[in-house]
Amino acid sequence: MNQRAPSKYGTQVIKPDDFDIFWGELLERSDKIPLNASLTLDSMRSTEQVEVFEVHYDSLNSLRVFGWYCLPRFRPRPLPARVFYPGYISEPTLPKAHAEQGYATFGAAPRGKLRSNRQFNPGYPGLLTHNLVDRQSYAYQGFYLDAIRVIDFLTEQPEVDSERIGIQGSSQGGALTLVAAALRPQVKAASVGAPYLTGVVDAIDLTRTYPYEEINDYLRLHPQNRDAMVKTWNYYDCINFADRIQCPIIVYIGLQDDVCPPETTYPLMDKIQSPEKKLYAYDGHGHDANHHVHDQVVDTFFDNQLKT
Amino acid sequence: MKPEDFSSYWLQLEQELIRVEPAPECTEIPLRSTPEGKVFGLLLTSLGGYRIFAYYCVPHGKGPFPVIYRLPNYGSVVHIPPFEERCNHISIALCHRGQRLSDEPFAASYPGLLTQGIESPQTYIYREIASDCLRVMDFLLTREEVDHRRISLVGGDLAFWTAAMRPQALTLFYTPSMFYKSLQKASTSSHYPLEEFNDYFRAFPKSRKQVETTLEYFEPMNFAPGVSSSTMMMEESEGDGDDLAAAFGREIDRCTTYHSSFRDGVRQAQWIADKLKTGEPLLPEHWS
Repeated sequence: MNQRAPSKYGTQVIKPDDFDIFWGELLERSDKIPLNASLTLDSMRSTEQVEVFEVHYDSLNSLRVFGWYCLPRFRPRPLPARVFYPGYISEPTLPKAHAEQGYATFGAAPRGKLRSNRQFNPGYPGLLTHNLVDRQSYAYQGFYLDAIRVIDFLTEQPEVDSERIGIQGSSQGGALTLVAAALRPQVKAASVGAPYLTGVVDAIDLTRTYPYEEINDYLRLHPQNRDAMVKTWNYYDCINFADRIQCPIIVYIGLQDDVCPPETTYPLMDKIQSPEKKLYAYDGHGHDANHHVHDQVVDTFFDNQLKT
Repeated sequence: MKPEDFSSYWLQLEQELIRVEPAPECTEIPLRSTPEGKVFGLLLTSLGGYRIFAYYCVPHGKGPFPVIYRLPNYGSVVHIPPFEERCNHISIALCHRGQRLSDEPFAASYPGLLTQGIESPQTYIYREIASDCLRVMDFLLTREEVDHRRISLVGGDLAFWTAAMRPQALTLFYTPSMFYKSLQKASTSSHYPLEEFNDYFRAFPKSRKQVETTLEYFEPMNFAPGVSSSTMMMEESEGDGDDLAAAFGREIDRCTTYHSSFRDGVRQAQWIADKLKTGEPLLPEHWS
């Protein structure tokens, strides 16, 4: 069905020489900030099987960030954990159903998402181009760090086995999974669907679909800022994080994806260093990336990686 | 079961809505306009004096143009209509009250919106949300650039209600969402948003009868006889929509989802193009 050759497309993404220094300094700043996590039981969302907590924690630039934390009520020993990162427009997952399967689960809501938007709210559309020309204040700087601090939160929880943390997401959730796997090597396993924020400078030439179209909108109005945009994105593109990823990882895409073009995933896969990596490329699928069927593959993958 | 006062309930809403001056305000958003057409931010006043937002996209050239009116899904964010669609249609995407850009003074909670005010049909938030949907349709019917005989509605239950109450819509591409057999489906699910109903019953165990009563006013089967638009219903699985299809009392087009945004998207675009007689639809490059 697919007439193109997305695996042959290549990429224009360049890794800056000081990429590791840039992120090293940011991590150092971020790691000095205590989480000051608070957990509040949400009785209305809790069930006989699962306790649901509203979590708040501190993150970069004094922002308070939200997340859903679910625990099976029956937990005789430390639990494996699964983190669910959200898509660009989707609401943070309240992952109660997976907690019923014996996991501690966390639905992340990085800054700007509902319940994390009191201090920072660039909107949708808006997030992708917020301070796009400045890597020091670009929206995704704090957004990425909020996401990786979820791993720090879980590591602090006595009911969680910090050796068995798995992370997952699709689209933007896939991108956050890649970044967290790269910057928090204690992550045990990762699953990525239709990764967004990957090969961004390629993607804007390949599609007219939002959210990437936000950048095309921006460049139509500010064509003089193209070089600055590219420069910023080279510090944030998931392709440039990929060589730090060591954990087992599965990636799934749709070969007719108009939102996150499949062409951008192949250079990513080439760079991932993990000895256990697998790409599932589904012909006949778009941005859904065949999750209807593939979700079972993901569950089995995590059961094998985290429960044995 | 259809409430005896179903028609008068919705007639009352119409009577309240007609007394509200819509006060449209259309402002171009240069950042989103393209060489193919302009994108406007549209503000309208809806029930209760609430100001709602919609993206209103008008192609360059001589109208009137056929319209694709996208009704929102469940969630806080509404996308700008697709670029390809904007090239040769008027495209409009509503952000109903509570969603971003229509979230002053009311910002919806997710989860939470689905059960807000559900204790009574008069207080249920979806009564007001339905009025937001109708308000946009009424706006379209006042516009010279709109081809009033070629308006297509796309979406879930909000699109269905709109089609039932605004027969001017030529077509409806409908995907049943949260209000078709909602409690029956919630009873076998722990996934959101349907889980919101289960959460509500756990918190308010004596409320079931009231909730059932409220939801009957929003059940698509009770609206179906009033839908005169040419309809395509895309079902989750084969037979899933049998009861709803029967409630129309006439033949409608039906299909089962491919669980592929690509294949479902192509089918939707082709069905709408066929009904609006706009020729071969423009599709994203990756779908060609």
